[in-house]
Amino acid sequence: MKLYAYCLAADLDTLGDSPPGISGAPVRLLKIDDLAVLVSHAEIDAVPVTRNNALAHAAVVRSVLDQTTPLPFRFGSLVTEQQLRSYISNRKPALEKKLAHVRGCVEMSVKIIWQLPEDGNNQLQEIPVAEPQGAGATFLADKRRQLLGDERRAAQAAEIAAWLSETVSDLTRDEQVTVRSSERLVLSAAHLVERAQLRHYREKIGEARENRPELHFLTSGPWPPYSFANIELEFKTQFGVS
Amino acid sequence: MADFDHAIITEEWDNTDVSLLETLDHVLNRGLVIAGEITIAVAAIDLIFVGLNVMVSSVETAREVLRRREME
Repeated sequence: MKLYAYCLAADLDTLGDSPPGISGAPVRLLKIDDLAVLVSHAEIDAVPVTRNNALAHAAVVRSVLDQTTPLPFRFGSLVTEQQLRSYISNRKPALEKKLAHVRGCVEMSVKIIWQLPEDGNNQLQEIPVAEPQGAGATFLADKRRQLLGDERRAAQAAEIAAWLSETVSDLTRDEQVTVRSSERLVLSAAHLVERAQLRHYREKIGEARENRPELHFLTSGPWPPYSFANIELEFKTQFGVS
Repeated sequence: MADFDHAIITEEWDNTDVSLLETLDHVLNRGLVIAGEITIAVAAIDLIFVGLNVMVSSVETAREVLRRREME
């Protein structure tokens, strides 16, 4: 018999009306070493990535967010109870450290989309390079323009990331930022925000949106701290898993 | 703290598809990993693709997990 694990939490002794879990299975609280794990029984060997299953996972994790700040497990975590107990016992210091880090916080997501120039060729032509002579030189000049364009976009993306980070730095406990200057979704940021600061955080993001009308913002939250729950590196270190 | 019941997508993007994508981005790409115990099946996928990188990265994550399992 396997268990599907949704999230792990401290300071959680009882489970209220939890929504149904994967495949409609009832969710229960499993106490392991003073920590609580939300689990449901699973009669399957693999969890299909379907809309219903993804939403069920998210709903169960979210259901305890008003009681505590949990560490979510990634979608598809099927384990035996013995494996789960072993995992938690072996990782308890790291898990408690993570729980302390996220305590009292929620995750807010900011994605920034920019318009990669559809008239990119015209913009690239504006980049000054030596006037080419002949087909080979023209090819090299175009290549040079392309490289300079890439560098320019990378610099712009880095500027956006630094600007956003600075804008909310007083209101965030931690952040995870991914920058992809060559793609429309140039920046994906997760901010760990104390609940008491949430209103101020939203105001700051609202101001940021007004200050940079050339950028499109996709903001969402509050989420459980999915982006701040990974202890995979510590696990690899301890068990030599690569 | 009742306002924590739901993740809120800003009005500019407030539609079901994007809400689903944001959820997928969180549950598929992030969270505690009990190494070797992520068992998902992508064949039954019924997700909506709208071209955002969040979706691409989620699918790539799923494929990577399956690839690793096949190598085991």
